[in-house]
Amino acid sequence: MLGTLLIGLREGLEASLVVAILLTYVHRIGRRDVARMIWLGVAIAIAVSLGVGAILTFGAYGLSTQAQEIIGGSLSLVAVAMVTWMVFWMLRVSQTLSHQLEGEVDAHLDGAGWGVVLVAFLAVGREGLETALFVWSTTRGDANWFLGFSGAVIGIVVAAGLAWGITRGLMRLDLPTFFRWTGYVLIVVAAGVVAYAVHDLMEGGIIPGPFMAAPDGAGPFVQSWFGDNAWAFRVGETIPPDGFLAALLKGTIGFTPEMTKLELIAWAAYLIPTMTCFIRLDRANRKRSRAAREASETAPAAA
Amino acid sequence: MSMRPLAAALGGAATIAMLAGCVPNAAPDGAGTITVTSTEDTCDVSTAETTSGNITFDVTNSGSRVTEFYVLAEDGLRIVGEVENIAPGTSRQLAIVAQPGSYFTVCKPGMIGAGIGQAAFTVTGDEVAVSEDDQAAHDEAVANYKAYVRNQVGELVPAVDAFVAAYVAGDDETAKSLFASTRLFYERIEPTAESFGDLDPRIDYREVDALAEGLDWTGFHRIEKDLWPPAPGAKNSDDTDANEGWTASTPEQRKEFGDKLVADVAELQSLVNADDFTLTIDDITNGAIGLLDEVATGKVTGEEDWWSGTDLSDFQGNVEGAQVAFGIVEDLARSKGDEGVKLSDTIDQEFGALNEELAKYGNTTDGFVDYKSLTAEQVKGLSTRVDALAEPLSQLTSTVLGIPSS
Repeated sequence: MLGTLLIGLREGLEASLVVAILLTYVHRIGRRDVARMIWLGVAIAIAVSLGVGAILTFGAYGLSTQAQEIIGGSLSLVAVAMVTWMVFWMLRVSQTLSHQLEGEVDAHLDGAGWGVVLVAFLAVGREGLETALFVWSTTRGDANWFLGFSGAVIGIVVAAGLAWGITRGLMRLDLPTFFRWTGYVLIVVAAGVVAYAVHDLMEGGIIPGPFMAAPDGAGPFVQSWFGDNAWAFRVGETIPPDGFLAALLKGTIGFTPEMTKLELIAWAAYLIPTMTCFIRLDRANRKRSRAAREASETAPAAA
Repeated sequence: MSMRPLAAALGGAATIAMLAGCVPNAAPDGAGTITVTSTEDTCDVSTAETTSGNITFDVTNSGSRVTEFYVLAEDGLRIVGEVENIAPGTSRQLAIVAQPGSYFTVCKPGMIGAGIGQAAFTVTGDEVAVSEDDQAAHDEAVANYKAYVRNQVGELVPAVDAFVAAYVAGDDETAKSLFASTRLFYERIEPTAESFGDLDPRIDYREVDALAEGLDWTGFHRIEKDLWPPAPGAKNSDDTDANEGWTASTPEQRKEFGDKLVADVAELQSLVNADDFTLTIDDITNGAIGLLDEVATGKVTGEEDWWSGTDLSDFQGNVEGAQVAFGIVEDLARSKGDEGVKLSDTIDQEFGALNEELAKYGNTTDGFVDYKSLTAEQVKGLSTRVDALAEPLSQLTSTVLGIPSS
């Protein structure tokens, strides 16, 4: 039971985080209607995942490992692109909101509303299929399958609760700070997704990694990316992958106890430029809004 | 940014990936299922050997930690199939389409490191049949080739009727002029005719072969010797006296041989038009190779049409038949990755070169030069081209059927 609970937690945490941040965000800018659309996106993603998962589990045909990994890996990369777009979009919207008028309706959201829904859909649907396959499989075990099944479901619920808790904490911040921090959080989460998208594609045999032998006659440099040489570290003995800490780390920052060099490079290659870009834009914004505030304080107030 | 095309593209890509990655799940009764039990320190697989095809591993975690199960390729690295997240007390299934070869099975209790209980796993038997997409392409190719065979036999029947009528009537000039053009229809589909037991020997055996096998000598070549009777002292292709044991047919015998050929060709027609006339894709690809072998062993030596000298026309017929067979499976071959594309390009090119070489000596409409007039040099030029084509063509079966050539 604890085993399945932790798997559910690990698989559900990062999607929950993205969705919770999104919901909080549209709530703060007073767009309840978009919140409903986000819930719709999440509901569709869950329904599709469970439906397809059930067909593949109980139907005549399953999905080959390669296909699963390739679908998962590719969707992860799309999800990263969408989340990145969302972070910068939120930043742009937040500068158009005057801080006195929190909840002011912004025109940006009309066009981007569906984008936000798609982000929610992808965040959930990306790992949804794998999670659904896992949840359904728990029902095929021994007589007391219900324990395992409940564990999995409870794990997902706990993940949602944790995400909600984290976001609640951020709720108390004033709006600009809230945007900044959720931006940081989302970029770190997305970097983690990049890392294990790479891992999925390695397992699918698409890119070189520990699951591929080096080509014949490869030099030492080439060889260092294949087979056992491809690992950067393997600390599974120190941080058990089936434990609570590992579940928490993977579901948030994307850290797993065994990572390859290429995963780390991909992680850094996404995180460093994106974060730099975000911080610089944010600084420029704050400077501008401070200048605007000072100007408005010296000018006679318009009725 | 517009979301709709993106969503559509995503959906499309996912669908394609799904279709390409379909593996049949185990039968509900568990037939063909291999059980795997993973514990803290063991990874028991119920059998270390199975036959190729769709196999399902039913992996039960009897340990106290979450486990994973992998099937690895021969190099011990590439993942052929895996199931993760098998919680204690639960079981998950892994379905794979297994080709013959050596594999490894391994469990990873606690999801750590290189895993536990890595064991050799052998898959015996034949290459697994093709995917459904390929099957559809195969069916289409077979249908097309069947239609081609039926069409050629359909042309052969009236041509034989006219040829035999002239021969039986003693109109040798007309019969001689029809000989090569009539045989063309037969030569194009020769491998199919050969698949019907003693039909090809009755229709197309040469004198020396019929004698060697103790058969009654009938068919095209019996008629040919009547139309181009050997001069006194002429030799057969095996250097025996051509007139020994041979006399020109009487009008009654001509009628007998003529009717026999008509009847045999009619039988061929009913066989290829029967509902139970079946072909497989390798009949087509191997048929193409068979046609070229015909050329290399029979036609190039000039033994086929020893008296008429019309070997080049038969040669052309064999090449055309091979080219049609190849054309029918070409798309299929080209769908098999770079190797298939490269091979098809080579075959295309070689067909072109061979046809060019043949065109130097005539064509099917106006006839070809007498084979005996070719110099040794020219014969060598032809046989070099035939060999250059036979080599890539012989790899066609493995490429089209996706069987790795060892």
